[in-house]
Amino acid sequence: MKSPIGRKMSLALVLCLSFAMLLSACGGGNNAAKNDPPTPATNNSQATTDNTTVAPVETTGSPLELAMKGEYKGTKVSMFGPFVDADQVKFENSIKEFEEKTGIDIQYEGSKEFEATINIRVDGGNAPDIADFPQPGLLASIAKTGKVIDLTNILDQAKLKANYNQSWLDMATMDGKDGKIMTGVWNRSNVKSLVWYPKKQFEEAGYKIPETWDEMMELTEQIAKDGDPAWSIGIESGAATGWPATDWVEDIMLRTTTPENYDKWVKGELPFNSPEVKHAVEVMSDIWMNKDYVYGGTKSIVTTAFGDAALPLFDNPPKAWLHRQANFITSFFPETAKIDADYDWFYLPSIDPQYGKPVLVAGDIYSMFNDRPEVRAVMEFFTTGESIKTWVQSGGVIAPMNDASLDWYSSESDRRMAKLVQEASTLRFDGSDLMPGKVGAGTFWKGMTDYVSGTANLDDALKQIQSGWDN
Amino acid sequence: MALKKKRKGNKTLVNIVLGVICLIWLLPTLGLFISSFRPATDILHTGWWKVFPHQEWSAGETIQLNKEVDLREPIEVNGTTYTDDQLKAGVTVDGNRLLWENRRARTINVQEQAWAFKPTLTLENYKNVLSGKEYKLKEADGSETVQKGSGLSQAFWNTLTIAVPATVIPVLIASFAAYAFAWLRFPGRKTLFVMIIAMLVIPLQVALIPVLKDYTSLGLNGSYLGIWLAHTAFGLPLVTYFMYNFISQLPKDLFESAFMDGASHFTIFAKLILPLSVPALASIGIFQFLWVWNDYLVSLIFIGNQPGVQVMSMKIADLVGSRGNDWHLLTSAAFISMLMPLAIFFLLQKYFVRGLMGGSIKG
Repeated sequence: MKSPIGRKMSLALVLCLSFAMLLSACGGGNNAAKNDPPTPATNNSQATTDNTTVAPVETTGSPLELAMKGEYKGTKVSMFGPFVDADQVKFENSIKEFEEKTGIDIQYEGSKEFEATINIRVDGGNAPDIADFPQPGLLASIAKTGKVIDLTNILDQAKLKANYNQSWLDMATMDGKDGKIMTGVWNRSNVKSLVWYPKKQFEEAGYKIPETWDEMMELTEQIAKDGDPAWSIGIESGAATGWPATDWVEDIMLRTTTPENYDKWVKGELPFNSPEVKHAVEVMSDIWMNKDYVYGGTKSIVTTAFGDAALPLFDNPPKAWLHRQANFITSFFPETAKIDADYDWFYLPSIDPQYGKPVLVAGDIYSMFNDRPEVRAVMEFFTTGESIKTWVQSGGVIAPMNDASLDWYSSESDRRMAKLVQEASTLRFDGSDLMPGKVGAGTFWKGMTDYVSGTANLDDALKQIQSGWDN
Repeated sequence: MALKKKRKGNKTLVNIVLGVICLIWLLPTLGLFISSFRPATDILHTGWWKVFPHQEWSAGETIQLNKEVDLREPIEVNGTTYTDDQLKAGVTVDGNRLLWENRRARTINVQEQAWAFKPTLTLENYKNVLSGKEYKLKEADGSETVQKGSGLSQAFWNTLTIAVPATVIPVLIASFAAYAFAWLRFPGRKTLFVMIIAMLVIPLQVALIPVLKDYTSLGLNGSYLGIWLAHTAFGLPLVTYFMYNFISQLPKDLFESAFMDGASHFTIFAKLILPLSVPALASIGIFQFLWVWNDYLVSLIFIGNQPGVQVMSMKIADLVGSRGNDWHLLTSAAFISMLMPLAIFFLLQKYFVRGLMGGSIKG
């Protein structure tokens, strides 16, 4: 680099090299994308050849029965999911007995970054044996690549039909690489159509639990006249700000239009700016946009963390009286508050009687990525109520299986929830979790936040949400 | 004389600017530190500055209004009318503040200002983080059992097991490479060196999936060896470049005389280069150690979250719970995870500063 020519040469060299690298980096990415589909195919074929070797064993009993006999002692099944901390402890307790009986070691790995990591793991060929998806939309996108194992012929369909509400089984059927496949089994679920209230003070104040939407609005007005805002609402949730608002819209959609329209809406066939969706948001706005009805006024909705939103109910006297949220919100309640005594819930009432008593649910679907006999056994175990028994006892989850006894629930409130799900006329899954990520975890959240914060009017917000489908 | 005065003036200005920057930099840290000693409910309700003595409205006498007062009309209190909104936010009258005490019961509180001195501080956050949280689990018969979660100690040792080799290996390899680039003449030397420099600009994220695929076929996922290699590879370009800058600046005569005396390249490296480049080794060592210690992404992809290999950063992220309900624990966890890098920094501080200056001043 002593002469100017040398300097120029090396500069040219650097430029060429970086250009070449840029090209190769882009090219590499494309190649990887193109090569992706065949790789899993070979994986699958390997897996299926594995099966054929174990096929004779299958004839003597289901994998679960064989596992209970100790057939798979000493094997390991890896599992990857989004729950950590307290939930992980509860989960590990619920599988402890199974592990002891069968000798299968279920190695659960929880990560807060599950949604981001699972794609990388699957693409990198490092998929866990079983993955727990809290959002079926995410599973659907992976299922399309053909990397999820079809459970149709692996699990006994008659048994499944007997143990699950048909709606659950339908929701597990998604588009595979070639045709429809059964992508997983539902294990834990939560109910969303609940309105929480401070029971003791509620009764002392002489309020009655509303049976219809109109009664609920009368109650809201009554509470406002008495001097308190009725509702406590918060939709702040970091990067996911806005999701509680989508639950409201979904719940109201189920109450103001047919389930078929709801399904169309979730699939993107019924646009957001259609009158049905607009009407649902307007019904919601009757509460949200009235500053006398919402604790802290409409402007505080966007800035209140969803987890803190329920807390005004527990002040004495309560600063707010009603809070619509799924059953998991109880983990945010003050530790001193007692279920059934201090707080309780009522079903978010119907609006139009012709649509019955629809219930909005969410849940976790477990799917299988590696087909080995012990993994089959564990998957079969997860279709039984037994697999979630201790978790149900400790509260916060509802078992979707029919063989989960109502006696397991340790509180009256949880038991009523389970009954609500079993008796629901229409059971629908959280729509935003089913929509593709761009809409369900993108424009829907953002559009609702913009509308509530006042930066967009209703029509613009709906148009903006709809645009998520288009690109 | 005039010149000297001007210089002095400049210096004060520079110091003031630096002081302000330092303050801006430190203030959030101070806030976090104070928050880590506050109970969870306090963190939710008030800012950290409330631990200092401050004036606060304290409850005084109560005015009972007529129970039939319509809240949507102007409300009369002691002969003056206010709107509901005013009473919600608080109106100041003669140094006192009128505020709803219980809107339902139609009582208004006349608040007075008073000094609040005593902050409530607790070590609960540190206890929860260090020794593990307690989970209350309901049994079938309705009784509650308490199960203790794991503390940070396992994750601490895991991180140390990863960080020490992931610092030593790249620094060692890079010193060899830097010596070769600086003092050996071999064909393709410049091309190779330019390639290494070019590697500096490639973000490691693009390599995640390809490397993961290779690791899967080699069975390296979730093993310490795998993550050492990953950190080594991702760290090498910068470390090599840094060490090259330092080693190439060492006086040439030194090597020539050693060479004359019959020293081999390895002897020169071991006996001359390594002792001379201790400041550079220490400072790049600190950099690499900090990077590995704080890393989340590489660990997330290559080692995962199994308790046996889980690193601190991931354990801390999990502390907040599946739905983020325990985020207040992050305050104390952050300070605990900071201890190790701080200790390393203060141990090697004198080298650190010297190393930073290493390439700039030549006597």
